[in-house]
Amino acid sequence: MIDIRDVSKSYGSIKALQHADLHIEKGSCFGLVGPNGAGKSTLMKILVGILEEFGGTVEIGGKPVHQYRRDIKRQIGYVPQDICLEETLTARDNLLLFGQLYGLSGKGLNEQISEVLTLIGLEKREKSIVSTFSGGMKRRLNIGCALLHAPEIIILDEPTVGVDPQSRRAIFELIHELKAEGKTIVYSSHYMEEVEQLCDSIGFIDQGMVVEHGTMKEVFEKHRHSSIFIEGDQVTEEVLAPYGELMERENGYVITSIDPLATLQKVALALHSQALQPTRLELSQTKLEGIFFELTGTQLRDKG
Amino acid sequence: MNAITKLEFKKKIQDKGLWFWTFILPIVFIVGFISIFGGNTGADSEQLVVQIVPGYTVMFSFYIMISIVIAFIKDRDSGMTARIASTPLPTLQYFMGKWIPFILIVLIQIAVLFGFGVAVYDMPLGNAFALIMISVALAFVSTGCGMAMAVIAKTENMGIALTQVIALGGAMLGGLWMPVEFMPDIMQNIAQFLPHYWALQGYQTVILDGGNVLDVWASLLVLIAYGAVCIGIALSAYPRYLKLSKS
Ligand SMILES: Nc1ncnc2c1ncn2[C@@H]1O[C@H](COP(=O)(O)OP(=O)(O)OP(=O)(O)O)[C@@H](O)[C@H]1O
Ligand SMILES: [Mg+2]
Repeated sequence: MIDIRDVSKSYGSIKALQHADLHIEKGSCFGLVGPNGAGKSTLMKILVGILEEFGGTVEIGGKPVHQYRRDIKRQIGYVPQDICLEETLTARDNLLLFGQLYGLSGKGLNEQISEVLTLIGLEKREKSIVSTFSGGMKRRLNIGCALLHAPEIIILDEPTVGVDPQSRRAIFELIHELKAEGKTIVYSSHYMEEVEQLCDSIGFIDQGMVVEHGTMKEVFEKHRHSSIFIEGDQVTEEVLAPYGELMERENGYVITSIDPLATLQKVALALHSQALQPTRLELSQTKLEGIFFELTGTQLRDKG
Repeated sequence: MNAITKLEFKKKIQDKGLWFWTFILPIVFIVGFISIFGGNTGADSEQLVVQIVPGYTVMFSFYIMISIVIAFIKDRDSGMTARIASTPLPTLQYFMGKWIPFILIVLIQIAVLFGFGVAVYDMPLGNAFALIMISVALAFVSTGCGMAMAVIAKTENMGIALTQVIALGGAMLGGLWMPVEFMPDIMQNIAQFLPHYWALQGYQTVILDGGNVLDVWASLLVLIAYGAVCIGIALSAYPRYLKLSKS
């Protein structure tokens, strides 16, 4: 559905994207993951046609975007990272605007608006001025504005930033519904848990480069390995070094191992014999977060 | 009507600043100056009304530039321009969609202020077609100038400052405050280069001398030429505005 080949984009001396290659299947939910400044928004702006000058090629539905821009724009719904609404107007007026921009009008448009209002859970607030909305409500309306023209492809740039848990749940449900309708979804985030929950394929992006991509299953099979996690004031690097490859993670250490149970046993014995008390000692599976760290050496988010 | 035009209208109706600059302040000025000059000098009252009502109408029609600048800079900075660029709306339609409502607002403004002059001061009007033509040409210049400034200005404040220069400077030099005949020769020559002067001359030719559209051809020509230059500048700077708003 979406083919991104050797795409590069610079802003002056800043290389926002470098030779990015990605393929996104029709009907899939693709998670684009990377830390701040990785180039997620830049890539999305290229897909939706906001940025027209870039290196490489992008094809959507088999058509090169440069030649079929107008057609392609009709198939895409774009939810920008920053909430972009007319604050002094009502929710309905905002939806009306975006519907009209996609050429909808009259009864058809009104029906679409009612449907979208229900979908985003704002049907009771359609006549309220947007500036009176909570952050989460604005986020939902921001998404709603991209859905009126029933696009095949929906591109959401960090749609859950700064929302309350209730709105977040509503947004997740909405995305599940869109998935069930067979839409192709591209979803950027730096929350790994979200992507793990929602998406069936994934691309990791760091410093403008796509460092890994594929279906969730492929990526996990390639990178997941069992490990054990140890945490405790008295537990130092020297104590653990003999038992395998060590990595510092949060306040403790991770030891990767082919036979984690055996390693766990050895570590437990060693700690016991030296009378050291760990606060945590457990088996763990690599999560997306760990895979990303392994690939790039960077944390997705600054630890707060 | 295009979606952008409708949107802009909806926003403008709620915009108290626009109401103030467009209707309230000009009416206050008109009433104020007519009572000051009418009371003290005992000047011919029709002459006075025909100087002040069209004079201040022309001057305040240029204040629309502030609203245009704000509208464009807001859209640029809020990301709305970029978001609209992701829809199939052609960029020229966005330009036109934003421009047209301001032309209409200036035309309504002229109608309201002239209507006020007629209702309160018995201002004569003359040939309606000629008045309409001058008004359309004036709206073309003032909004065209606003469009040029809107796509060029970096900040709202810069746009507002330049608007003041153009509106007030043009009013003073173009004889909107004081008939040009009372000004030194050199100033009279300068006035000839200003659209403000030609707009007022046009109105006065129609109202005082009973002129028709043929008698004001020079005014129309100058106004349209100025407007065309402004829109030319606006259109050529527009791609740069779009580019800036997308990043
Ligand atoms: N208009 C611009 N001018 C200059 N540099 C820019 C511009 N837009 C983005 N960049 C730079 O390009 C790089 C990628 O930015 P981008 O917004 O795509 O990152 P992101 O992955 O979306 O980050 P975030 O998670 O913070 O939204 C960053 O280094 C950023 O500073
Ligand atoms: Mg971003």
